[in-house]
Amino acid sequence: MGMNDHALALDVGGTFTDVILVSNDGDLWTTKASSVPADPSRGFFDGVDKILGLSGVTADAITSLFHGSTVATNAILEGRGARTGMLVTDGFKYVLEIGRAEVPRRENLFAWVKPSRPVPPRLIVEVPERVLLDGTVERVMDEDACRVVARRLKALGVEAVAVVFLHSYANPTHERRAGDILREELPEAEISLSCDVLPVFREYERSMATALNAGVQPIVGRYIGRLRDGLAERALAAPFYVMKSNGGVFSPEQAERQSIQMALSGPAAGVRGASYVGALAGIEDIVTIDMGGTSTDVSLIRDGVPAVTKDGEIGPYPLSVPIIDIHTIGAGGGSIASVTEQGALIVGPRSAGADPGPACYGKGGEEPTVTDANLVLGRVPPHLLDGEMVLDPALAEAAIRRFVAEPLGIDVISAAEGILKIVNNNMVGALKVVSVEKGLDPRDFALCAFGGAGPMHGGELARQFGTRRLLIPCYPGILCALGLLATDLQYDFARTRIQRAPNYDLADMAATFQALERDAEAALDTEGVASERRRIGRSADLRYAKQGVEITVEIPGDGIDTGSVARLIEAFHDLHERLYTFADRDAPVEIVNLRISATGVMDKIDLPAIDTVPEGTPAAPSGRRRVHLEGAFAEVPIYRRENLKAGHAISGPAIVDQLDTTTVVLPGQTAITDAYGSLVITDTEA
Amino acid sequence: MSSSGIDTVTLELVTGALQAARAEMEALIDRTSMSPFIREKKDYFTAFLDREGRLVVSTSLTLAGNLVEAILEQYPADTMQDGDLYWYNDPYSSRGGVSHFPDMVFVMPVFRDGELIAFAEAWGHLWDIGGMVPGSISPQATSAFQEGIMIPPVRVMQAGVLNEEVFRIFTRNSRFPDMMRGDLKAIMAACALGKRRLEEIADRFGVTAVQGAFDHMLGQSERALRTAIDTRVADGEYSFRDFIDCDAVTDQPYSVHLTLKKKDGRVVLDLSRSDDQATGPINFLMDQSVPKYMAGLYLTMHDPNIRMNAGFERAIDEVITRPGSLVAPNFPAALGLRSHTMIRVNSALFGALALATGGQASAASSVYVLYYLRGRDTATGRLDLCIEGLAVGFGARPFADGIDAVYYVAQKNYPIEFAEMEFGVRIEAFRVHTDSGGPGRYRGGCGIVRDVRVLADEADLGIRLDNCRYPAFGVNGGLAGRGGRVVVNPGTERERDLKTMSDGHQLKKGDLLRIITSGGGGWGSPLERPAEQVRDDVLDGFVSPESAYADYGVVLAEDGVTLDLSATEARRAALDGPRGMFHRDGFFDGADYQVEAAE
Repeated sequence: MGMNDHALALDVGGTFTDVILVSNDGDLWTTKASSVPADPSRGFFDGVDKILGLSGVTADAITSLFHGSTVATNAILEGRGARTGMLVTDGFKYVLEIGRAEVPRRENLFAWVKPSRPVPPRLIVEVPERVLLDGTVERVMDEDACRVVARRLKALGVEAVAVVFLHSYANPTHERRAGDILREELPEAEISLSCDVLPVFREYERSMATALNAGVQPIVGRYIGRLRDGLAERALAAPFYVMKSNGGVFSPEQAERQSIQMALSGPAAGVRGASYVGALAGIEDIVTIDMGGTSTDVSLIRDGVPAVTKDGEIGPYPLSVPIIDIHTIGAGGGSIASVTEQGALIVGPRSAGADPGPACYGKGGEEPTVTDANLVLGRVPPHLLDGEMVLDPALAEAAIRRFVAEPLGIDVISAAEGILKIVNNNMVGALKVVSVEKGLDPRDFALCAFGGAGPMHGGELARQFGTRRLLIPCYPGILCALGLLATDLQYDFARTRIQRAPNYDLADMAATFQALERDAEAALDTEGVASERRRIGRSADLRYAKQGVEITVEIPGDGIDTGSVARLIEAFHDLHERLYTFADRDAPVEIVNLRISATGVMDKIDLPAIDTVPEGTPAAPSGRRRVHLEGAFAEVPIYRRENLKAGHAISGPAIVDQLDTTTVVLPGQTAITDAYGSLVITDTEA
Repeated sequence: MSSSGIDTVTLELVTGALQAARAEMEALIDRTSMSPFIREKKDYFTAFLDREGRLVVSTSLTLAGNLVEAILEQYPADTMQDGDLYWYNDPYSSRGGVSHFPDMVFVMPVFRDGELIAFAEAWGHLWDIGGMVPGSISPQATSAFQEGIMIPPVRVMQAGVLNEEVFRIFTRNSRFPDMMRGDLKAIMAACALGKRRLEEIADRFGVTAVQGAFDHMLGQSERALRTAIDTRVADGEYSFRDFIDCDAVTDQPYSVHLTLKKKDGRVVLDLSRSDDQATGPINFLMDQSVPKYMAGLYLTMHDPNIRMNAGFERAIDEVITRPGSLVAPNFPAALGLRSHTMIRVNSALFGALALATGGQASAASSVYVLYYLRGRDTATGRLDLCIEGLAVGFGARPFADGIDAVYYVAQKNYPIEFAEMEFGVRIEAFRVHTDSGGPGRYRGGCGIVRDVRVLADEADLGIRLDNCRYPAFGVNGGLAGRGGRVVVNPGTERERDLKTMSDGHQLKKGDLLRIITSGGGGWGSPLERPAEQVRDDVLDGFVSPESAYADYGVVLAEDGVTLDLSATEARRAALDGPRGMFHRDGFFDGADYQVEAAE
């Protein structure tokens, strides 16, 4: 950034809109505004106005603006996508309805009800056309018939249309022509082509991505329109970027077309934030845990780069576009603890949410939550948000007594401990999914705990999970907003080109990569990225012949030759062994998809360094509180996070309170404050 | 503290860890297997069993029974060593531990401190294990000796050392040995992973806690099912008979007869009045646990914390079968198509439950469909084997519609773009079978239509599509589902219908095979289904306007979209009348729906 540059980031979540403003002079302001679910742009501009007022910075001094949004996410999860029609190959109207025809593996087949599809069959129309798997046109598209069905969809009042023809990844001509016809016949509607959204084989997954994209396009478009208007009113003309699910950002113009890329915009920003504060602390291998009120997101960062998956899900739907690999479990601070008919203690997936909230909020919640257990054990102070919110320990205790302690015949303290153990165990399970199950050793990673409830549980999670270091960011409640300031422009391009051993067609691979690179360069051109800021990465999806799931392997260097392909195959064997416990080095290997990731490197903020004291200086507690840790109550020193300076050391047991969260330092743990205000907690015993 | 002496929290922690470990085993198989059956169709399952061999956690699937008992008979527990791996596929020597030959079961004992503490288990359906036809299963088989290699319980790995010879013998018997080796590697690696995870769990919580958790989980499931039966089923005897179209070799229908008896706290399921074993391969060598698991899953479904395990077995005192019958066939009866009988055990149980609960049981589901297209390239002789599982409609429930277009638990269809890559076929249509779901307050699920163009020079075809002669019955005023059809070259001069359960049909390049699958039964009177839902079903193609009028009494205006409410009211009044508990070719109330009724 140049002199007097200001970067502004807004992360609009379900309850709060978090705002950060940073200048390159080392000034940093943060604030929160209430989100307005009915019109998220209002929360956005409340946040903008609040931070400008707070900082005294004028709109024209803002030089870049970053935004994470749940607009697309919520539209999908709540089934509020636009009325969407779909064009499919003749004979395949039920592609979404039939799907993969299974009762999900974890369900009881007698109880399971199939979730409704984002586009019902009545809005799906068939077009006479057929492309074969090698791209050959078997049946030329009947353009007149296409026009007729386009008009029928128009009469049905659709706002968006998805086009998914069989094997369009191999030859998109028909889809493109159908797109032209639709634009002529339905000029107001948004059109999504599967060859643009997800040009890889498996028609159900591709159809779902395209249908979801079409359904959220008009909603994202209207939302971005409102943002543009509001920014223009405020004369805030800085370049504007939107967070994608893959951990990068893109322009609002791209967001309007590839709206599905925003499906996990919010959680992706949090992971990005964790990688950023990790880098500042010199930590590149991190497992992140973002524990909120109703759910917890877990993900993995290796060498500073968040892990990406192509086999994600959103709600009941598969999501096969590249996204940061985030594993979500339905447990958080608001999760309800209960005893089943059979006498088992369970926590979640039911949640008290923000309303009525935990019993201790005194807003009518009767059932005990994780937060109530933390309060009864003294870990949460009875006042939150600097006294704006008062918690009632007596209500928490009564709820735990009635719903857990008495049914189990145990005392309230044991019940509260049990609730926390169970929720922690669920979280450790999630931590293992992203690490141990991928052949990785937790001891090689630091745990980064954030979200309102993460720092409270981090100490016990780190121990149980077996990590050596725990990182609590300076602003655990607004790490997503911070993450927005640490992103790059990020585009992914892929094409299915199946190459079978031993006859790899190197020329074809090189040509495909060139074509993908042209697409990538064109995207970066559109964003006006200077050539020295461009990074192009190549990778390929490989599998053993006859396998059905591919592993993505990076291809270093520029050219494609026998040497680079041999190294690619060798890297695949190694990765297979790490992920799945064995490799089969004699088996033929197939190259399935080729991928290009294009990055436009953006200027990063410099998070201001805080004041320092000599390394290891004991911090001064601000008071003491009775806290239950490791089986007993004790008077534990309390520290204020804002009083901690770089180099300050705290020995557990201790509690660190701050505006929006509380960090628990267990006996045997030591917390050192780093140069940027993060707490780095290690086990002194280990 | 729980009855097992382990605190409640620890029990929950062990349970959570076991579930996570099992999911991890499944993920390993999912990502590394090679045959279309396992990698795309996902025909594989995993489980943990306690040291007695009792099932503790598994996929909720009711196909087979006690997986370890037969191994323990051959290899007593005190002869087992750490690092052993046991293997079988033989339903006869495992007495229903597995229920047809292509399912390969692998079991690894888990030790801690020299003591056997549990078993980790994984199984999957292999693509070809020899036998009379490519793919090993044929609707024409009349003997187990035609259905592929039989492997009694063997120790394929001893103390970590693999017996390569056994593997060479086995893979020599497959038409696709490479694929076989790939799948076996995946399943065996999953077993080893499960063993390792269980060891870690034992290290973390202690062996006593793990054993206590096992006992506790079994106890929970047992109590939940006992309570459900006690509260929902009054003392008495409830019988129901359900029919399979035929055994695929002869034209003769077969039936499963089930009586639920409850008296003085004792619960018995008596299947001894089922028909004699069949000539064709629909015989189901049923472990006694199978109907118990079905009852358990159905009656405890309101509580998601109850798991399918051997606790269900203890809640039902006895299952009676008659040797030589369809559900207890004598060696070497053919078993390849046993799911047709398995699904009828399920529907007969639901019929009995409907009688016991005043209709509070699901309607019948259709049996999933498979076709076996064995293509040949005449110039090279190369074999192109296409085996596809196809979805059907499931029965409607007292609380929801039956599932449309569904195969079974955990198993997926092939993407069309995958099938066309691998199988020498072109899929030309894939639609919902309109009106196949039985009309009801809750509609039965619809089957599907799949058009398959043969691209191989020549091919022979086996097919198993059921519920045509005896469609899935409706319950409590709901109507039966509609059966399917198999037709070659429809709409041309060469159109011909095939017997829906049969084999040996010759097809050649360019022939079009249309498979239309059967739907599930309806539940409750269709006149009580909200008219808007019927209208939506018409718009979406699940119900025709004709059926909306004839069965649901719903009248649409000329535009085909708007409801004609007054005409609907009049039509519904005209259709109103007494309805029976069950429906198939008319209503019937009694226990025994007779064969003659359908002829």
